[in-house]
Amino acid sequence: MDDVELRRQLERAHADCFGWAMACCGRHRDDAEEVLQTVYLTVLDGRARYDGRSSFRTWLFGVIRRTAASERRKTWLRGLLLKRKGNGLEPEALAAPDAEVERDSRRFSLGNALAQLAPRQHEVLQLVFYHDLTVEEAATVMGVSVGSARTHYARGKARLAVLLGDSREL
Amino acid sequence: MDENENELRRRFVQLREADSDRVPGFTQTFGRARAPKSGRATLRVRPLALGAAAAIAIAAIWLAQTRSSSPSAATPAIATWRAPTDVLLQTPGSELLSEMPALGTSILDEIIPAPLNRGT
Repeated sequence: MDDVELRRQLERAHADCFGWAMACCGRHRDDAEEVLQTVYLTVLDGRARYDGRSSFRTWLFGVIRRTAASERRKTWLRGLLLKRKGNGLEPEALAAPDAEVERDSRRFSLGNALAQLAPRQHEVLQLVFYHDLTVEEAATVMGVSVGSARTHYARGKARLAVLLGDSREL
Repeated sequence: MDENENELRRRFVQLREADSDRVPGFTQTFGRARAPKSGRATLRVRPLALGAAAAIAIAAIWLAQTRSSSPSAATPAIATWRAPTDVLLQTPGSELLSEMPALGTSILDEIIPAPLNRGT
């Protein structure tokens, strides 16, 4: 894939990638944008190369996920070295409310509920419901087996139902 | 797909719509990615790297100095050092053990006077 085609593919997936980067960065917009820049640079430099084994978007989501995890580790390390708080994925930051999404109650907004899920449950639900990926594709992005992804998916849905105040099983 | 799953999907759609208003322009993000790296990341990491390198260098110099100076400073101190219990080795009559006895004499000669000649 040449640079022009690469750029075209990235542009097409940009909005979707930003949404996924937001999820990977605890819904911090600046962090998500920085992660996305790093990802684009990695792709353009050829340090991450698309091999065609999955769809371009699935592969790109995997790169975003790994980059965000790497950035989280760096942020954590920086916080540790500088003994500074307020970086990375503080629980409160994770639960930052999204005004447009909140309808009835801040406590039970989807953003807050997602932040309380286990990371893998959050990821698989985000990929399936937000990005319309199949569970199999989500498993590829997450780097886990399909069976494991299905388990996270089922448990995540059940937990989300409880958190959103719905006593019925999804 | 049941009603609850639809409800969940609807909530995620709302979230996606909210996010779509906040998406930075592709050209902007792409342009920053292509620009030479002179930004925040470099500036944030560099002081940490320099600080770590300086700390390692200082520790190495301190260790080297400590190791090189220790033997010369300790040697005379050890040579002149005496144990506090050395006094216990100084027993009465110990000087007798440090001298060679002479033949035909007795150590008692210096202590007991010679017997008087009784004229027998």
